[in-house]
Amino acid sequence: MDSGEEKRTRIPFKERPDWADVKPVPQDDGPCLVVPIAYTEDFSETMDYFRAIYLADERSPRALQLTAEAIQLNPGNYTVWQFRRVVLEELGVDLHEELKSFDRIAGENTKNYQIWHHRRWLAEKLGADAVTNELEFTKKIFSQDAKNYHAWSHRQWVLQALGGWEDELAYCHQLLEDDIYNNSAWNQRYFVVTRAPLLGGLEAMRESEVNYTVQAIRASPENESPWRYLRGLHKNDTQSLVEDSQVASVILDVLTSKNSHVHALSLLLDLLCHGFEPSEDLKSAVDVLTPQSCSPDLALTKRICSILEFADLMRVKYWNWRKSTIPVQSPTCQNTDRLADLCARMSDL
Amino acid sequence: MAEEDDAFLMLSDLDSEDSIPMFFDKNRHICYLEMMLELLPSPYQSQEINRLTLAYFAICGLDILRSLDRVDKEGVINWVLSLQAHPRDEAELSNGQFYGFHGSRSSQFQPNDDGDTIPNASHLASTYCALSILKTLGYDFSLLNSTSIIKSMKNLQQRDGSFMPIHSGAETDLRFVYCAAAISSMLENWSGIDKEKAKEYIINCQSYDGGFGLTPGSESHGGATFCAVASLRQMGLIEDDILSKNVSSCFINVPLLLDWSLQRQAATDGGFQGRLNKVTDTCYAFWVGGVLKILGAHKFIDYEGLRKFLFTCQSQYGGFGKTPDQLPDLYHAYYGFCAFSMLEEPGLSSICTELGIPNGVYPGF
Ligand SMILES: [Zn+2]
Repeated sequence: MDSGEEKRTRIPFKERPDWADVKPVPQDDGPCLVVPIAYTEDFSETMDYFRAIYLADERSPRALQLTAEAIQLNPGNYTVWQFRRVVLEELGVDLHEELKSFDRIAGENTKNYQIWHHRRWLAEKLGADAVTNELEFTKKIFSQDAKNYHAWSHRQWVLQALGGWEDELAYCHQLLEDDIYNNSAWNQRYFVVTRAPLLGGLEAMRESEVNYTVQAIRASPENESPWRYLRGLHKNDTQSLVEDSQVASVILDVLTSKNSHVHALSLLLDLLCHGFEPSEDLKSAVDVLTPQSCSPDLALTKRICSILEFADLMRVKYWNWRKSTIPVQSPTCQNTDRLADLCARMSDL
Repeated sequence: MAEEDDAFLMLSDLDSEDSIPMFFDKNRHICYLEMMLELLPSPYQSQEINRLTLAYFAICGLDILRSLDRVDKEGVINWVLSLQAHPRDEAELSNGQFYGFHGSRSSQFQPNDDGDTIPNASHLASTYCALSILKTLGYDFSLLNSTSIIKSMKNLQQRDGSFMPIHSGAETDLRFVYCAAAISSMLENWSGIDKEKAKEYIINCQSYDGGFGLTPGSESHGGATFCAVASLRQMGLIEDDILSKNVSSCFINVPLLLDWSLQRQAATDGGFQGRLNKVTDTCYAFWVGGVLKILGAHKFIDYEGLRKFLFTCQSQYGGFGKTPDQLPDLYHAYYGFCAFSMLEEPGLSSICTELGIPNGVYPGF
């Protein structure tokens, strides 16, 4: 809306009295035109004047204004950004002002790397002063685009470099309340739990986080995000995953409900391959789901793969392959298999 | 043109009710790329800085479509070479700047009359694209001043192992580790990278869920995951077809990575998504499909489902859009072609997955 207005009222540089002394430098494209771009007149003219100012190394207020206009049209151009920073420093511009005026441009151009890099440069210069502003700014972006990758990486950088962790876990909670499927918010939660200096790290947080995650799973068992988060809470420690009674119990609950079973089965399969001893309830929950074509003597792990071949049709070949690799990958499963094999033979006798 | 349109309408009427052709419409794709090669519409001006990248999509795309004969090879090669930054002398190679390729004329400045050097803005991604084009056109790399590229590239690697794409004023992340690896691989010279450091950085980018984020701690993303896996493969740090080997001792978590990648193919429409709980998108058919290919797990992809999804993104103007309801763009068109090449669509040349370029081999010839 704003930019449309600007376009209509834009006065070409060649008609601006304060630019009369500048001779624009056109782009020299050479003889061969490979993917030439049909530049608009505004674009060509602005870049021609930029070239002139840049080559003359003119660090003036009008040069600053020109870079702003060039950035609006050509936000990816490193040279323009870099030159703007040179001019800002030369003129001693109040960087808080720069940050404010850029809220507007970034607001419209939130998927451009250079804009975020410029913000980082400013925040770095302003130090701890910038924390509140940057956290609020990214919040504003997330209110419209909760998964904006650039904004998330900026926010993570601010937290790590400048601080401001205090309310971050609560903010993640709020975002997940708004949308439990928001994987960026789950990822940020993991970032906070593992890196926030005051929380004590993953091990200190594990129990309460498992509680939180299990609740989220019960609310929507088809949501892949909390399932992956749950595994993440036990990262590099399969033993604690296998021994976590809350994990086994949420799997049982989901398998005995009418919900999608894919993620529960997939996790159970991994647990079994790491030596998990399933309860009778869990075994019978799997029994109920096992297709009739399956031999009842088949090992539990293999039966789970067979169920997944039906329940997760898109990955039928994957589950089939997993079934074929089970004895090789896990000694425990191998034993179960051998046992099943033995039982089958004995009943034959 | 009119005749072609009519023929197109007839074919599509036969094939589907909603006029989207359910076959790989090769001729239309060739027309699209030729059109783009001749003149890009003005909305591309905001990507002007990446003109070499846009050229890479068009030219390598035409090679995948086996239509390189429509390109003025000599002219393109000279244009690409004209974008290379050259140090004035050996000493300049250690001044911290990178001497690769400029993305476009607007970032390229010659030293002025006083002989002052104007900081060059050559860029790792542009350099990767320049070399990809040159390689595709069969340019002899021994004619290239590749020493200055490799030597000055060293200046860009950071202490944490990541790469900056340009000598000052830019973000560092996995994308540029990938560009550096691909450049080293194409030039067959690895002295510009500290591989151990790069490996350490890549390991730090693997997320708790098995995928990779662009920086340590960031959310898993299909493109970042491709950059990680393809870099490791090119550096020789993971073996080809790793799944058939013992993966439990690998320095990255391969089973979780495999599971994460396969779960990105959506049961709803057969396309690939780049992140959990996001919409499917043409380009991830290549990014995530490519990861699976490198891991030796592409046999687990539901090919039919993926083909059907890609057909819905195929445009009536040729090319592919990001999603079924969007106009085609060069980026999604190119990765759509790459995806179809990986799916072994007849009539396409095969690609080198790690490099993301056609490998000059035409299967069946
Ligand atoms: Zn895309």
